[in-house]
Amino acid sequence: MSSTEQLAIVQSKFTSGETVVIAMETPLIQGWLRAARILALVNKGSTHALVILLTSRTPPRVFSDLTIERVLPIDQDFKCDINTDETQPDGSDVFLNVSSRKLQLVFEMKPGVATSALVSEIFRAFDDYQKSKSPPTEYLWIQKLTGSSRNLESSANDAQDGSDPLVELESPDLVVPRQNIAKGKAPVAARESVVRYQMACKEEDYTYTQVFRMFIGTWNVNGQPPNGISLEQWLSCDQKPPDLYAIGFQELDLSKEAFLFNDTPREEEWCQVVTKYLHPLGNYRRIAVVRLVGMMLIVFAEEKHVPFIKSVSTDTVGTGIMGKMGNKGGVALSCSIHNTSVCFVNAHLAAHCEEYERRNQDYADICARLSFARYVPPKALKDHDQIYWLGDLNYRITEMEASVAKHYISIDNFEPVLAFDQLVQQRQLGKVLQGYHEAEIKFKPTYKYDPGTDNWDSSEKGRAPAWCDRILWKGDAILPIEYRSHSELKISDHKPVSTIFDSQIRVIDMVNYRKILEEVMKKLDKLENEFLPQVMVDTTEIIFDTLKFFESSKKELIIANTGQVPVQFEFIKKLDDINYCKEWLKIEPYTGFIKPGEKCDIQLEVHVDKKSACKLNSGEDKLYDILVLHLEGGKDIFITVTGTYQRSCFGSSMEALVHIDVPVREIPVGRLIELENHKNLTAEPYPIPKEIWLLVDNLYRHGIKTKQLFESRGYHSEIIAIRDWLDEGSQESMPGSVHSVAEAFLLLLESTAEPLVPYNLHNVCLTAATNYSQCKQIVMQLPEIRRTVFIYICCFLQEILNHTQDNFQDAKTLASLFGSIFLRDPPRSRDDRSQRSRASQVTFDRRKAAFVYHFMVNDQSDFILGR
Amino acid sequence: MAREYDHLFKLLIIGDSGVGKSSLLLRFADNTFSGSYITTIGVDFKIRTVEVDGERVKLQIWDTAGQERFRTITSTYYRGTHGVIVVYDVTSGDSFANVKRWLHEIEHNCDVVNRVLVGNKNDAPHRKVVLTEDAQRFATQMGIQLFETSAKDNINVEEMFMAITRQVLRTKKERKERQAIQTKETVNLSKSTKQHRRKCC
Repeated sequence: MSSTEQLAIVQSKFTSGETVVIAMETPLIQGWLRAARILALVNKGSTHALVILLTSRTPPRVFSDLTIERVLPIDQDFKCDINTDETQPDGSDVFLNVSSRKLQLVFEMKPGVATSALVSEIFRAFDDYQKSKSPPTEYLWIQKLTGSSRNLESSANDAQDGSDPLVELESPDLVVPRQNIAKGKAPVAARESVVRYQMACKEEDYTYTQVFRMFIGTWNVNGQPPNGISLEQWLSCDQKPPDLYAIGFQELDLSKEAFLFNDTPREEEWCQVVTKYLHPLGNYRRIAVVRLVGMMLIVFAEEKHVPFIKSVSTDTVGTGIMGKMGNKGGVALSCSIHNTSVCFVNAHLAAHCEEYERRNQDYADICARLSFARYVPPKALKDHDQIYWLGDLNYRITEMEASVAKHYISIDNFEPVLAFDQLVQQRQLGKVLQGYHEAEIKFKPTYKYDPGTDNWDSSEKGRAPAWCDRILWKGDAILPIEYRSHSELKISDHKPVSTIFDSQIRVIDMVNYRKILEEVMKKLDKLENEFLPQVMVDTTEIIFDTLKFFESSKKELIIANTGQVPVQFEFIKKLDDINYCKEWLKIEPYTGFIKPGEKCDIQLEVHVDKKSACKLNSGEDKLYDILVLHLEGGKDIFITVTGTYQRSCFGSSMEALVHIDVPVREIPVGRLIELENHKNLTAEPYPIPKEIWLLVDNLYRHGIKTKQLFESRGYHSEIIAIRDWLDEGSQESMPGSVHSVAEAFLLLLESTAEPLVPYNLHNVCLTAATNYSQCKQIVMQLPEIRRTVFIYICCFLQEILNHTQDNFQDAKTLASLFGSIFLRDPPRSRDDRSQRSRASQVTFDRRKAAFVYHFMVNDQSDFILGR
Repeated sequence: MAREYDHLFKLLIIGDSGVGKSSLLLRFADNTFSGSYITTIGVDFKIRTVEVDGERVKLQIWDTAGQERFRTITSTYYRGTHGVIVVYDVTSGDSFANVKRWLHEIEHNCDVVNRVLVGNKNDAPHRKVVLTEDAQRFATQMGIQLFETSAKDNINVEEMFMAITRQVLRTKKERKERQAIQTKETVNLSKSTKQHRRKCC
């Protein structure tokens, strides 16, 4: 199905005005499993929402196949990032993490054009939101989609988390039906992604919080050098030493060189003086410093915390001239402290009283453009658990006369003035620093002073006082302790500001972490073991009772799939065997597929035929085989097949039969094996096996005039009766029609281990085939018993040919039949057979016939006499 | 970033029929025990992932049929095995007597392999016939570590599997180190010959 068709089907699920921008099938990781979902980005007006749909059919064909499961509005609480497994260079999987308020979803996607298109559309939608900041009322259409009347109003007030506007329509438990797993629709999710997901879900179980005292400071130094200055009153004015310092400067250097070449000696000068005045009771190590022109951020941490501060990464964003230059903008540092990700942003936003919109824009640009490349993919600002935003934000007080403001300030009544603070106003309008908090301002405006004094700007411009320098934060469990300015430092037209926070940092308890990781691994192992193919067989021992030559017997084996996954089974070869079972056994089917809960009946058929009889007779083989039933990706089961073979003259060698003067069944098995191995032969053997004589005699007496003798087939039941008559002996005459007798006769000749003319003579026979005297020489060389049988049969065939007027037999047909029997090809494997071409096989067969033909048309009396 | 595992090892459990090979595996992989005895007719495996010194090791543990008639077939499963667990039953002298044969089987079918000797069913002192001292003497003589376990009471099972895993891991690391040294030596050798040649010129 093309993506356009699919898009159309998904679109039909929505009303006009709601446009499906893009839709894609993608598995959702749910606990331990992956479940099929369709992810659609839907647009209405200026708002977007990510809609997760269930589908009853993959791919969906009509809109009724689809059910809306959840709808996530793309608003300020929406978060989305992608994760790839760094260790896999081919990046076999991409994980799309989507979260909104308390809900977190992970989708596993295949890298490719479709995935990147979807992800970039989602990011674009989020960018759109950042620009338009659609108010919550614009998202009311989502309520209709979900049929929920729950409150969508989720303002910047974080306390309202209780009213979750996310909608769960169906299966809140999200349990994938076992049946689906069984059908292979929901395979076990890639292990590592599951481990990560499970560990993230259980974070609370292996972490505890530890309070870090943070000192966040900011100062616009107006390009002044720190010559001989003390920062003690700013950086170490508290009793308790902080655990961490994040100190931001603005206007570190106002020189052209600094602006053009981003190079200034001031960086080192200020770093030294800052280092010097850190709290004397602490032992600090610099984590990093980042600077863009005049904006500099330094972070220090107490020595003991340093090993737990990881993934330190910095970035800078210039929003000044042309929207790019570094005279304005922000510098930031991202790191993880234990298990909490923290970001510090030191910003210097656009100046001038009336430019608050420009400042809002600078803020938005910094948010959008900050990207920490240490991570793959780069980490964005919003992906941090805690964000500290500090700097000269430059928001002013414009709607109050400076003199009035100064009056209120002089009597420490800040409230009326703050009401006109642009930052307060813009934040209330949701235009800047949404979701951030600021402690109550209880200090005088930090701008603008005559340098060296605490006096308001006395220059011609006579700027109104403003709280330009601010510190805000975003994130849970951050408690501001102090928010103050430090008027003792007078070198700049700004006063430094600082905030003391008690921030809760998530610390990993390694003992618990290991324990929980082990639990997760165990659970996964258990699941993996449960998902191995499992079957039950009704028996592992198949016992055939007595089996006779040419008579087949069947038994059934039932394989039941008792596991949770489909099973592909196969009987496989063991050791060096060429086949998965002995040649007297047939397994049908020997390979197959069983769905969970279903069964498969296997037919095992034992049939001892002319090929396998000789080995069983001679004791070379037994009716015993161990079959290996292999489950793909799983275990092997051994199935033992046994039976008792009743030996017969069929399959016995001529050499053994001539030494047996009673029916074969009457001599002990051991004796038969002895004779087959040419041991303890009798003194006076028969010239030919009595069985051959009995069969030929019967044919001579009853079939000499029969048409199509050896061509018409006998009856299976009669052949079996003849077998028993020969093996057991009887007073009765031989049972069966002449055709059955004829077939039994051929069968007896064919079931010997070697043909009448031994294999080693075949080549000379075929070479000599056209030359009668050479052929005679060869026959003379045959072992005595074989020669006698050969001549005996040929004489009998001559006798048949004497009655052609009745039986219509012709010498050539008989010659080709007996040629192929007397000079039977050695058994070959399938691969061998393909090697001899059909054409050469025809030539071989013709020569075999020619060889026998001589003895059917020439007088054999000299042979007999020559004996 | 974590991978699914750092090492993948194949372990094999062998020993006479009825000594508790399957029970040991079931205890280690699923932490369960079933009192009812079901003969293993074939070979089966289970997996378990463990941490050894901060490294994640995935074990694929093969349980084999102990019956004599399957011995030739089961020997084909020795291929590619990193560690073998030879199990006897402390309440059966015969099963202990046969340990030699099983060890011989390992030598015959594996190249280099780590082994542990395990006396299972060590939970009923009054029925114990293979004394710890005798087993220990034999184990020392053969250079194998001995564990007396009970799959039923979950005694020493985890320890035994962890020991063989550590052994296998150590062998792997030693081999790697040896290879590293060898390559170094080769490099040095070729370097010195080069220098030598230059002098000649």
